[in-house]
Order: sequence, then C-alpha cells, then structure tokens
Amino acid sequence: MALARSEYRVAIVGGGIVGLYTAYHLHRAGAGPIVVLDRGFLSSGGSGRNGGGVRQQWETRSTIRLAREAVAAYRRFGGEFGTNVWFRQGGYLFLAENAAELARLRSVHDVVVSEGLPSRMLDPEEVAARIDGLAPGAVLGGSFLRSDGTVYPFPAVWGLYDWLREAGVEVSLGNEVAGVRAEGGRVVAVRTSQGEPRCTTVVDAAGGWSGEFARRCGLEVPNIASRHEILATEPMKPFLDPMVVRASDGLYFSQTMRGELVGGLTVPHPPGTVRGVPSSPRFLASMARALVGLLPRLSGLGVLRAWAGFYDDTPDGLPVIGEDPRLPGFVHANGFGGHGFMLAPSASRRVAQAVLGEASDLDPKEFGPARFLANAPAARAERLQLG
Amino acid sequence: MGSTGRARLRLGRSEVEATDGEPLLAAVGRRGWPSLVRSVRYHRPRGPFCGVGDCTGCLVRVNGVPNQRSCLRPARDGDVVELENSWPSPRLDVYGVADLLLPHGLDTVHGLRRPAVLRSAYQRVVRRLAGFGAAPDPGSARPPAPARWLRTDALVVGGGRSGRAIAGELASAGRRPLLVERRADGAPLGGVELLAGVTATMLAAGGAEGDAGFTLLGFTADGAGVAVRSPTVVVATGAYDAGLAFEGSDRPGIVTADLALSGLGLALGTTVVFGGGERARAVLERAPGEVEAVVAPGEIRPELARSAAERGIDLFPRTRLVRAIGRGHLRGVELARRDGAGRFRLATRSLVLAHRRLPNAQLAYQLGAERAWDAGAGAFVPVLDAEGRSSVPGLFVVGSAADPGATQPAAPATVARAVVSGPSPRGPPVPRAPASRPGELASYYRETLAEARHGKTVVCPCEDVLLTELEEAVRRGYRGLEVVKRYTGVGTGLCQGRYCLPEALVVLSLLERRDASEVGTITQRPPLVPTPLGTLAAFAPELDAGSP
Repeated sequence: MALARSEYRVAIVGGGIVGLYTAYHLHRAGAGPIVVLDRGFLSSGGSGRNGGGVRQQWETRSTIRLAREAVAAYRRFGGEFGTNVWFRQGGYLFLAENAAELARLRSVHDVVVSEGLPSRMLDPEEVAARIDGLAPGAVLGGSFLRSDGTVYPFPAVWGLYDWLREAGVEVSLGNEVAGVRAEGGRVVAVRTSQGEPRCTTVVDAAGGWSGEFARRCGLEVPNIASRHEILATEPMKPFLDPMVVRASDGLYFSQTMRGELVGGLTVPHPPGTVRGVPSSPRFLASMARALVGLLPRLSGLGVLRAWAGFYDDTPDGLPVIGEDPRLPGFVHANGFGGHGFMLAPSASRRVAQAVLGEASDLDPKEFGPARFLANAPAARAERLQLG
Repeated sequence: MGSTGRARLRLGRSEVEATDGEPLLAAVGRRGWPSLVRSVRYHRPRGPFCGVGDCTGCLVRVNGVPNQRSCLRPARDGDVVELENSWPSPRLDVYGVADLLLPHGLDTVHGLRRPAVLRSAYQRVVRRLAGFGAAPDPGSARPPAPARWLRTDALVVGGGRSGRAIAGELASAGRRPLLVERRADGAPLGGVELLAGVTATMLAAGGAEGDAGFTLLGFTADGAGVAVRSPTVVVATGAYDAGLAFEGSDRPGIVTADLALSGLGLALGTTVVFGGGERARAVLERAPGEVEAVVAPGEIRPELARSAAERGIDLFPRTRLVRAIGRGHLRGVELARRDGAGRFRLATRSLVLAHRRLPNAQLAYQLGAERAWDAGAGAFVPVLDAEGRSSVPGLFVVGSAADPGATQPAAPATVARAVVSGPSPRGPPVPRAPASRPGELASYYRETLAEARHGKTVVCPCEDVLLTELEEAVRRGYRGLEVVKRYTGVGTGLCQGRYCLPEALVVLSLLERRDASEVGTITQRPPLVPTPLGTLAAFAPELDAGSP
C-alpha cells in the first residue's frame, strides 16, 4: 500500500516491539507525523521469535532500572493497549553449577539488591523446590527474583499496532527500506519500496537487521546479527513457574500460558554450515540433551516445533540508543542482543527523547553510538547475556 | 505386528487384553467407541479423528508419559494407560462447563485483561485449562537408547506404492537404496534396505561431508532414534484425508477416511460418507461400519453411485454439511441441498470425511522446497520438473505427496534415473493440469460462512480455534496465513496444521477477498511429528562431531 504522506517528522525502520513502542512514545509526545516501516509482516522478526522473558537481574544498574520500568509497563499493558499479554511473574531462576558461576550470580544479586529488588540466593534444595524433578546434584545454587516473569510476545505487538492505527500513526508493512537520503550531511528522506518521503529523523529499530541497515546508510557499526534457535514442546499442565536460566551455557526455558515448555540454548555453528533461519538438527539434539540432563523426567515429552531468529549483539552487551554524530537525523534504537522485548517499553521512551532532542537519564558513554567510535573509552559492559 | 503374544494393559481401574504390539487404540476400541480425551481450551468431547498419528483425538498417558498417540503406540504387556485432560472421565468432564459458559469462545487476546486485581486469578484458571496431560512422571525417565546412524546413496522416505516402486527401480539400477517406512509390517523388497517402523521427523540440509546431501532424523515406536545421511532424498510420503470445518465438526464419531481404512477396527456403526469420488468408494467397500448414505459436496462419480446402488445406500449429491447433531458422540447430521431445495437430517453414529486428499509433502517444505497453489487440488503442491526434482537440488517428491490427484505423475523409472544421475538443478516445472472445477471448495465454504451459526465451528481442533476467531482477525485487519496463524493460534497445535490450515486458507481467501495463493503458506517448522526429547538427545554425540 502506498504511503499516506510525502513528508513525515519521523520514519521508524522496523515494526517490531522497539519500533512500535518508539512510535507510541513519540506520538504521545506530540512529535508530528510518524511512519513505521517494516519489510515483513507483523512479528516476522525477533519480536515474534523470542521466548518472552522479562527480567530485572542484570549486572549494570542502568539496565536494571530500564528493566524495572519495563516490568511495570507490561503489568499495565492490558489496560492501556487493550490486549492481554499474559504477563506472569513466576520469577527468573539462574542456576550455577560451580563456585565461579555461583560467585558471579552473587555479584549480580548484590547489585540487584542494592537497587531495591528482593533477589534471593538459593541453595540446591531451594532450587529443587522450584524445579520439580531436577536431576540430583545438577546445581550448586541459584539466584531468584520473583517479580521477573514472562509475557506472550505477540499480543504486545498487536496491542501497540492497534493503538497506533487508532491514533492515526501509519504502520506500513511489506515495505522494504533501502536506505536514507542525506543532504548537507543530515537525513532528509527515507528511501522505501513505496516511495521516498521526506523526514527529519530516521530511527534504526530493525532488530537483527539494524547493523545491516546502518551500514546501508554508510555508517560503520559493530552490531552483529547472531542466529539463535528455540523450541517448544507439547503443552502440559502447569508444573514449572519460573523462567530457568543456566549460567554455564545459557540454557533457558519456561512454561508458557499454553503449557508448552519454550526455551533455547546457544549452539555455535561452524561458519557456513547453516544458511538463513531454518532450525538445525544440532540445536534440537543439544537442547534436548541439556533439558533431559537437567530434568530427566522430560525424556518422553515431545518437541512440537523449533524456529530461529537473530539477536542484535553489540561488543559491550548494551543497547545503542541515541543520534549518530556522523549523520544527524539518524537515531539508533538497536543492539538489544536477545533482550529487545524485555527492555522495549522503557528503552523506547529514551529513544523518543533522543529523537526530540530532549535530555534523558541514560549516560551517552554507556548507551550512545559514539562509544564505538575510534578512541572512545569503554564505559561499562553488560555481560549477563543469558536467557 | 511382530510378536503375537498377549499383553495385559491397565486402563484406569480396568484391565484390557491386547495383542502385543498392536496399537493401543485398537485394543481399547474393542470395548466400544473410545472416548479418551477432552479438547484443550473448552474441554469439548473428542474422539479419534485421523487414525494416522496426527490429531489430538486419541491422546493418552502411557507409563507416566503424556500425550501418546494411542493409534500408533504399540501395546506392551504391563502398560499403564491413563486418560488425560478430563475429570472424572472424558464422558463426564466437569471442566466441560467451559464449553457451555463460553458459547462464543474465549477471546484470549482481548478478554480477561481487566480488572488487574482479578488478572492473576484468571491466569491461574486459564493456565489450568491449557495443555493436555500433566508433565511426565519423574519415574518415567528413561536413559535414551543410542541413536543409529546410517548412510546410503539413495534414501526413499515413505513405503507406499510410489516409494516402493522407486526403491525397486533404484535397486535395479545398481544402487542399494534405503527405504524408510512408518509401518512396521512392510514386506521385504529385493535389493532394498528396508527400515520399517521408523517415523521420519526432520529432514535437514547437510550430510556427512559438510554441506552436501541431507540428514534425515526419525524414530521407532519405542522412541529409539534413527538418522540417515544421503546425497539424494526421494520424498514419497503420500497423501492424507483433509478435515472440514462446520458446526460441530469436531464431535466424536466424525473421522477421516484414513481412520476408517486404517485397520484399527473401531466400530463405526451406522455411517454417512462425505465425498463423491474414489476415496468415498474405498470407504464403502472396505471400511467397517454400516454405510447408510453417501453425501457429496458436488456430483457423485458413476463408479461410486454403482457401488452404492449395489449396497442399497442412499445418495445425496450437491449437499452441504450444516452441523453435527449430538452433544457428546455424534447422533446425526443436518444437511442442506446446495441448490437451495431444503434441509434435512440423517441419524448416524459416524461421519467419514472422504471428500478431499491433500499431499503430505511437509518434509520437503522443511527444506524450503518451492510450492505453488493448485486451484484444482485446492491446495499448495510442490513445484517439480518432469523427473520429480524439487527446487532443492537432490530432493525429489513423488507420487501422491507431489499431487494426490496427479494426472501424470513422473514414472518411477524416470525418477530413479534422475536420482542415479545425482543432484542437479530442477528443470522446467511441470505445468499444472487445468482445474476441472476451480474454486469448488471456496463456493462450499462461502455457503458455510453465510450460515447462521449457533454452536462452535472449530477450525483447528488441536488448539480449539473457532471460525469466528478467523473472522474477527480479518475484521481487525490481520491478513495472511502467517499473521492469522499467530493471531488466532490456528495451525500451532500438535498436528502441525495438517487439518486446519488447508481449511483456514480457503476461509481466509473468502474473508480477505483475495486468491488463496496470496493468503500464502506458513514456514514448515520441524519436527514433522512431536518427537521425544530423549530421542533427540541421543543424536547429540554424533552431531557434536561437526555436522550441522
């Protein structure tokens, strides 16, 4: 469908959770005409491929604060946007298998507690009480925060999409963005497959494709699209409340509202052996082995389906939020790793602030795109890239 | 069936006698029509529907493991069989009240989100209604049997007529093909390595030598993994009988011709057959049950009419199924003449759907083989050249998996020659035969959609997705099969969309007012059938050694 206007204030590239939430915050701030552009269908990217985890246990205080705000937003979501995201606060349970991992969880726990969240360290018996059927001797301990939880990702995307359409914000699906047009060193238009409307700001919220899009616009960025796989089992009656994450290998799984066990595991593939996003036998087998090793009772349970998607990874594990100093008018809203869905409600508010040139509480040294430019000192890093 | 020994099973509080190795469902079904399970969301009564291991109508818990398809699971002495998702029994399930309290279904997208204080209470209730069986018993854990890894120069998947013919031709051409067959009782075939009783579940690119070739993962009825690597694969997985969505079409007693002809021996009793062609005739002539009427959406073929006349069976051509009568098991069907000449009812215990066969080419689609809409078949079919090559070099599709109504399928000898000559790009696609009655199914569903509906029309029985939910999704501007699948859950259940997506496709093309080819397909996600975690885990050591 052709675009409704020939000029917008803001063009948002990517109709996933980050792009839609950014449009929402911008519209509420009265930013003027906004268009969200996506080359696929709704939820075709990472927003429709993630495990729905929302956690507040992080190493960096800034991320904890963003996550806390996101938890509050998902609690309010149904009332605000009219769709039920089934946010269930069953907690996040991190598992440690050795002393080094336990020490790492404890240091995260200390930061989380100092931010006022009641995270708890658990001994093996307390872990076993939360995972019915845990293999004896499988863990040395864990950390747990009850107010973490899971959402069902799709209704969040639909709720925002419906809200935006009702508010008169244009969402153009099936519209591939080729790049931007710059004049005098700043963004003046966005080049789409449905025309080239003028705009003063382009937001790169393209998830796994955001690095590719930035490079298409002439901006060298360190974002790497990394492929991750996930599977769902047959649905069962509820038996597991928390999202479980293992520190050693990033194994994660939770039981959804539909009763399926949904989870993933990072499996390194030799380069060139897997093309695109089909599932691989190697992932299915490794994931199955990890699950059955931890919970032997699951050996007879059927795997229903598997799929894959892309994380948008950055070298320091923190997202990129802010205007690119090399191309005024180009605003980054990417680099969320595998955690865009859980941080989108709050992070997108800061993206909107960056678009509008307003001050935000984010430290540009931590989140700004300039941190990756030559000679910029690394401020902090978020290494808890699990689950 | 292997051994002919006796097996004693426990079913709830009673004991059931079985022949060792026969399907559990056959043993249980000898005591009368098996009511084993309730549906997932509304706890509607369900019964065996497909007879080929795909639907959710015969799920039971066996020895502490949930969701076992009793139509496939071999009976073993001492098996403890429990019923799932109902209390106290599938016939008198108290949760069935959900079906009565929610006559128009539950809108999980928009419903139950306010007030916030009640939300966690709703969530607990909804969470309890989800799922079929309880999680596996801790005592059910089994150390996985080691997986078998095999290698061949030509792999044929599917031991039906086409698969066996091609395997035979390949053997004649000097190859030693490996034939993977789901049935355990196939006769040996000279020069062919027969792997019987193995269900294929995933076909992936990449064989033993890096990128070239394929790896097939499968498993036996007892859950032992079998993997085969081969440079070429011939998919000969046949066809299956489609479902049909109408009011009450999920009632127990409504089955596919696959089930009626499965040899499970379920007592169909008085039977109405739906369909006007060869498949309906096969049901008349071979299925157990007293067929009293043949109802067809269009004309009735002369051979079928003759066969029916010999048996004194009534014929109702150009007739539509309006609704199933009966709260529990089917008691009858309400029918409408499609020329508008009125409605009538037939009392019956069973309704056999034999109106349409669909190609079973999902294994090829897992690899991304190109498919195209075929108006005549009313389905997407693989795009093939004259030798059966798909768009994936080295991957062939043959027989009714290529096209259940194939007018000129590639001859086995031709395909075998092409397989022997090795992977090469597909030639020009074979043009589709012109549709004899294009849009026939669409006009049928147009009448269904125009009908005033009182009870639920379940399009997707695995997930209890209603026809009204498809209508609502389109009304809200959600279009296309990929999007509506996510929005409603249609096609996300245990059958991997086999019984609902072909119907949803036609319905959506009417609701969206565009051609079914534009409504689109969905990505075929592995595995093909639910595959035990323990089975998959057993493949890990070999896969760790470096293959994809």
